[in-house]
Amino acid sequence: MKSKFYLISSGVLINAILLGCGPGESDSEESVAPENSEGATLVLWEDIDKSVGTEAAITAFEEEHDVTVEVIERPYGDNVEDLRLDGPGGTGPDVFAMPHDSIGTAVTEGLIKPLDVNQEVQDMYTESAMLSQMVDGEVYGLPYAVETTLLYYNRDLVDEENLPTTLDEWYEFSENITGDGTYGFLALWDQIYYAQSIIGGYGGYIFAQDDEGNYDVEDIGLNNEGAIEAAEYIQKFYSEGLFPSGIVGEQGINVLDSLFSEGKAAAVISGPWNLGPYEQAGIDYGVVPLPKLSNGEPMSSFVGVKSYNVSSYSEHPELAQELVLWLTNEENQLTRYENTQEVPAIKALEDNSVITESDSTQAIFEQSGNSVLMPGIPEMSEVWTPADSALQTIATDSAEPKEALDGAVEAIRNQIEANHSGN
Amino acid sequence: MQHKKKAVLLSIIPGMGQLYNKQWLKGICLIILALAYGFIFADLLNIGLWGMVTLGTEVPRDNSVFLLAQGILAIIVVALGIGVYYFNLRDAYKTGQRRDEKLPLYSLKEQYFNLIEQGYPYLVSGPALLLLIFSVIFPILFSFSLAFTNYNLYNSPPANLFSWVGFDTFVQIFTVDIWRTTFIDVLSWTIIWTLVATTLQVSIGIFLAVVVNQKDLRFKKLIRTILVLPWAVPGFVTILIFAGLFNETFGAINLEILSALGIDSIPWLTNPFWTRVALILIQGWLGFPYVFIVTTGVLQSIPDDLYEAAIIDGASAIQKFKNITLPLIFISISPIIITQYTFNFNNFNIIYLFNGGGPAVAGSNAGGTDILVSWIYSLTMTSSQYALAAALTILLSIFVITIALWQFRRTKSFKGVN
Repeated sequence: MKSKFYLISSGVLINAILLGCGPGESDSEESVAPENSEGATLVLWEDIDKSVGTEAAITAFEEEHDVTVEVIERPYGDNVEDLRLDGPGGTGPDVFAMPHDSIGTAVTEGLIKPLDVNQEVQDMYTESAMLSQMVDGEVYGLPYAVETTLLYYNRDLVDEENLPTTLDEWYEFSENITGDGTYGFLALWDQIYYAQSIIGGYGGYIFAQDDEGNYDVEDIGLNNEGAIEAAEYIQKFYSEGLFPSGIVGEQGINVLDSLFSEGKAAAVISGPWNLGPYEQAGIDYGVVPLPKLSNGEPMSSFVGVKSYNVSSYSEHPELAQELVLWLTNEENQLTRYENTQEVPAIKALEDNSVITESDSTQAIFEQSGNSVLMPGIPEMSEVWTPADSALQTIATDSAEPKEALDGAVEAIRNQIEANHSGN
Repeated sequence: MQHKKKAVLLSIIPGMGQLYNKQWLKGICLIILALAYGFIFADLLNIGLWGMVTLGTEVPRDNSVFLLAQGILAIIVVALGIGVYYFNLRDAYKTGQRRDEKLPLYSLKEQYFNLIEQGYPYLVSGPALLLLIFSVIFPILFSFSLAFTNYNLYNSPPANLFSWVGFDTFVQIFTVDIWRTTFIDVLSWTIIWTLVATTLQVSIGIFLAVVVNQKDLRFKKLIRTILVLPWAVPGFVTILIFAGLFNETFGAINLEILSALGIDSIPWLTNPFWTRVALILIQGWLGFPYVFIVTTGVLQSIPDDLYEAAIIDGASAIQKFKNITLPLIFISISPIIITQYTFNFNNFNIIYLFNGGGPAVAGSNAGGTDILVSWIYSLTMTSSQYALAAALTILLSIFVITIALWQFRRTKSFKGVN
């Protein structure tokens, strides 16, 4: 009897406490005070070692708007991750650099703010780069650089005059040169990031995309006829021993890089991030767009876009947007390119003499014409592991291409259903 | 009415009972403490408790993660408050009791000495306990609570709120096909890994210690130093070097060692079975020096007369080892062996650094060598399945804690055996 009394009375008490608790309903419309930005401080999270590219632009911006911009260099791939805690904690940035493939996630979580950018400005950027910043018709950032994979060849091992132009020619070339620890043409086709070059060329795709750039996650094209044909083609390179099994798997990328850096591989597919390291390794290399496939199509590749975005937690969103617009305009992207070699995402710069001077930049521009955008939607995170696994089992000949790809698509579907549905 | 009852009733307002008992200073202290508590923590308690129940009602004003954290803090603060409040009631009651029994009340000085004498351990460990609450208990409570929410990518703040879902996530682990099969696969490999790898490292350690401890062996110090070296190199460096050595086409193990023995190349990194073998071997290498050192210490403390007596009784070398050396070693180092097992159960570094949990296995969403922790890591980092990861962490903890407790209770070394 007594315990019942306690139970009821404590229940009543707790209810009474809770009713009176909490912050209450907030006022429906807080009056938005006009932003007073004078003397404000903006925080910019910049990519590592890349602030030399924006120094001048930032000084100019500070003078024009009478504000201070604090630039902090950090690995730009981690920015979204860190914003989750630093944003609400008040130590986050106003503007930050990020890779476009996490935009979908960031928008879903509400970490970045939509920007108000007119059509004229949007038209300034290359189409795919601009598309990467759009989610449901809203602009969430502006691109400042693009990157995609290229073919590096070692001038000491390949005759530059007779450079193979198709993948079949590279295959023959490899057959002749491979042996005694030397390899011909190498690529990490056990990873979807690189294998997409072939799969895409044969008509496979990850998610179907409509004209406006929206992805249909129900329609996965990784096990269609083209993709299977591509996988069979890929498997040939491994089973013939042209690609050693040592470049398969987690450590494969290190092995591939060191083979090329030691002059033991004649050609590799890699991204612009290796331009510097390969040069430092003392390799006399050339860079060209990816070769053609045997069906006459150019090899595809994934385009990665780097962009500036505005944090939802910014206290000066308008000023932050100004900064994004300023840093990504034509003039400042060119300056950035001159200092950091990051290929700009501006259409008009394609024919600029500064750009055409460099083989690698030229190659990136050319290759991005044949590329597709890496999907930036959250569902993409479910693709990497199953797709890589399938390709790995294909490369090691432990599964038939069709079987492996069917399994991967099944796994992707399951994971999307498990992680991305019904919420 | 008795003094004790009156004092307790008055103490419902903290300090009043003490004042009634004419313990002025104590009473005033308690009143001030109570006022300060209410004053300082009012906001935290208000928002925290409300947040704990609702996890937020409005975006973007409310952030479920922060509300949950505040809620847990509020609960801790409430618990501390209840503790002090209970002390206040009890103290009023005890003092009242003394008055009822017509015993003289403690003077302030006597109370002070009582506190120092009886409460000394609590007084000294108090700050550490407080630190422990916020640095250990708080994070545990936080991740524990997450398991009962639906916190994932689509319920992430600031755009969305997450909410309490009870045991849904646990039910999912065991009912949704893809989770269940993967969970069972990963759990069974985790168990095999823990048992085999740890047993291997412990046996190597003990074996080598016994061998090196033989009386007529020369250069003992040199040998011991060499054997401890694997422990002196940072583990992650060793693991990365081994990953290179085990490389199928370029690694020294296939290229130099096995081919010299006339054995064909073994797919160390692309075949799940061989990757597991490689991992177990590497863990043997990484783990034995510690066991070796500890065992050596134990061996040196075994008195010689035990062996002399055994020799007189006509015991063989094997009998001596089985009946004297081994039992004495196990008694001394079994706690260490248990911690080795629990350590390997959660040995994230080696799995992650060697082959990233790979190679890939068809039809599974974890890699062929993923153990529970590394799988949880990838769930959190790539799929933003925070609630699921937290739920798995709880399951994993239950597993480890049960085994550890059971083992600790069985061993005699914690009971101070002579």
